[in-house]
Amino acid sequence: MNAKKTFKLWMLGFCGMATLAGTPVFEATPAFAHGERSQEPFLRMRTVNWYDTEWVGKSTPVNGVTALKGKFHLSEDWPRAVVKPNRTFLNIGSPSSVFLRLSSKINGTPMFVAGPMEIGRDYEYEVTLKARLPGHHHIHPMFAVKDAGPIAGPGGWMDITGNYADFKNEIKTLTGETFDSETKGTSTGIMWHLFWAAVACAWVAFFAIRPMYLVRARVLAAYGDEILLDPIDRKVGIAFLVFTVTVVTVGYLSADAQYPVTVPLQAGEAKVKPMPIKPNPLVMEVTHAEYDVPGRALRMVIHATNNGTVPVTIGEFTTAGIRFTNKAGAAHLDQNYPAELVAAAGLTMDNEAPIQPGQTVDIKIESKDVLWEVQRLVDILHDPDQRFAGLVMSYTDSGERLVNPVWAPVLPVFTRLGV
Amino acid sequence: MFRTDEIIKASKLPPEGVAMSRHIDYIYFIPILFVTIIGTFHMHFDLLAGDWDFWIDWKDRQWWPIVTPITAITFCAALQYYNWVNYRQPFGATITILALLAGKWVTIWAAWWWWSNYPYNFVMPSTLLPSAIVLDVVLLLTRNWTITAVIGAWLFAALFYPTNWAIFAYSHTPVVIDGTLLSWADYMGFAYVRTGTPEYIRMIEVGSLRTFGGHSTMISSFFAAFASSLMYILWWQFGKFFCTSYFYLTDDRQKTTKVHDVFAYATLAHADKAKMSGGKA
Repeated sequence: MNAKKTFKLWMLGFCGMATLAGTPVFEATPAFAHGERSQEPFLRMRTVNWYDTEWVGKSTPVNGVTALKGKFHLSEDWPRAVVKPNRTFLNIGSPSSVFLRLSSKINGTPMFVAGPMEIGRDYEYEVTLKARLPGHHHIHPMFAVKDAGPIAGPGGWMDITGNYADFKNEIKTLTGETFDSETKGTSTGIMWHLFWAAVACAWVAFFAIRPMYLVRARVLAAYGDEILLDPIDRKVGIAFLVFTVTVVTVGYLSADAQYPVTVPLQAGEAKVKPMPIKPNPLVMEVTHAEYDVPGRALRMVIHATNNGTVPVTIGEFTTAGIRFTNKAGAAHLDQNYPAELVAAAGLTMDNEAPIQPGQTVDIKIESKDVLWEVQRLVDILHDPDQRFAGLVMSYTDSGERLVNPVWAPVLPVFTRLGV
Repeated sequence: MFRTDEIIKASKLPPEGVAMSRHIDYIYFIPILFVTIIGTFHMHFDLLAGDWDFWIDWKDRQWWPIVTPITAITFCAALQYYNWVNYRQPFGATITILALLAGKWVTIWAAWWWWSNYPYNFVMPSTLLPSAIVLDVVLLLTRNWTITAVIGAWLFAALFYPTNWAIFAYSHTPVVIDGTLLSWADYMGFAYVRTGTPEYIRMIEVGSLRTFGGHSTMISSFFAAFASSLMYILWWQFGKFFCTSYFYLTDDRQKTTKVHDVFAYATLAHADKAKMSGGKA
């Protein structure tokens, strides 16, 4: 291969690399979601049933404080394939730390560390957030289960306005100092890194100013190492050894003197009690469920008994953060809930009449919308355990809400033939 | 001051050969050796000890001083073998850690700050440069890799925590948030949201290395020193396995010999080379 050909190949390779490197600069567009739809349906439907999720303050200035709050129910139909929630952590799904998390509480208990949760119980959370990075951000509550991974809740948009340069987060320590989380320790760290890099470069340079490789290799092969081991190398080596150990000792002692009061990293376990079980006069059970593939509809037959004293109307079925409502449910919809997660007229029943006190009924409920497809919940048909779970919301005339968890195996319907 | 002239004379290279050897030094040392170490070691280190080095709230008293030196001494030992055995150059460990930190700081700036917007203090790496310098000096002074494995590797691990306490002592200052005691490092880990890194994956002082009245750091450092010693021996041998050059020579009587003196190849007669390459010299 001659030099000209080699040069051509190098140039070709260089152009290829330059194209690859340049592509993101011109073509990359921001990602606005976190792949939540790629999580398998059984993970989203049968683990954490999110409800009452609220993204407080759609627009917050830098340094402004806002919140993400809501409730979740841990499904009784927790999948066998997912590790039980013995060690869990309520997290935030966001594109990096666009908000600073000031506080995170579940049922009023601070959740700095992970802890166990109970299947079949409800929890109320509130995460206080401080706006940090300006932009249009998609924010999720997220429930992480050890050995199972993060389970994303519904995502909503939150805007942050202003300038990042104005951001500050100063916290007073127990020893009375005030630390800014953005900068504390940075200059000291960089100073020490630069200092040791300079010492290390000096050590290498001491050998690099003399012939380094080929000459020494020839001498070593021919005569052994007596000539190569220069007496001055030993003297300089001893000097570096003494200097290094001395500086390490002085650095350690001075840091110890500067911060005499320290504590080890804290890593216990959060002990969170679930919400008290609210008496629910409405009892329901799914006796049959099927997913209509061409119709994009989940149909279920519910056997319900109203043991209360007032009539109850079913208004909503929610699963995986997606809400299917009828007229009764739509009246209770939070208008700030992301529209892309709501099928406002997606819930129909063969009997819309309220369930009267003492009455037992079998109701066919259909939750139908393209959202099954868009949110990739139709992939339930590819799950190894074809079941669904969710929450049915019912309302009394006085506006009281009753929440019933439901779950059942799902039979697929692949064709409309015979309907 | 130096024995340079004597060494050059002994090399029996002509002046133009010496000048060329310096060009090779410059081309090989920075663009090839240094960048190769960055590319290989940085990735290996991050796969094994990455989280301890990335996050301030992973730097505990127990696992951080164990995992980091044991992982870092691997390539140091292999590069020490290469540089010492072939050239008697005692900077293998230092150049390895310098390359590691060069890769680290590129990542910190490009990935953690520019791309992910985490502040530098949250992702500040630890430094092992003093440990590496001491490891190199011990090899230079003792000229013996076994003694270096015992003394140098122990010092390598033992110096790690005091070196880095100067950088991270402040992060153990106590704060109270929502009525809960945290170290500043815990608070940073909580405040700066990491979507894919829930709290429970931290390994904070779990395990049985916690006797002697809570002096976790001392016990961890001694354990790390012992394990580093073993790692050093293992990786010195890896260095030997991967960095030993040799060729096979078949003589007139068809006897094949393994020859380790690679420079002898250059002095072989044309006909001998032809024999080795199947008749095509």
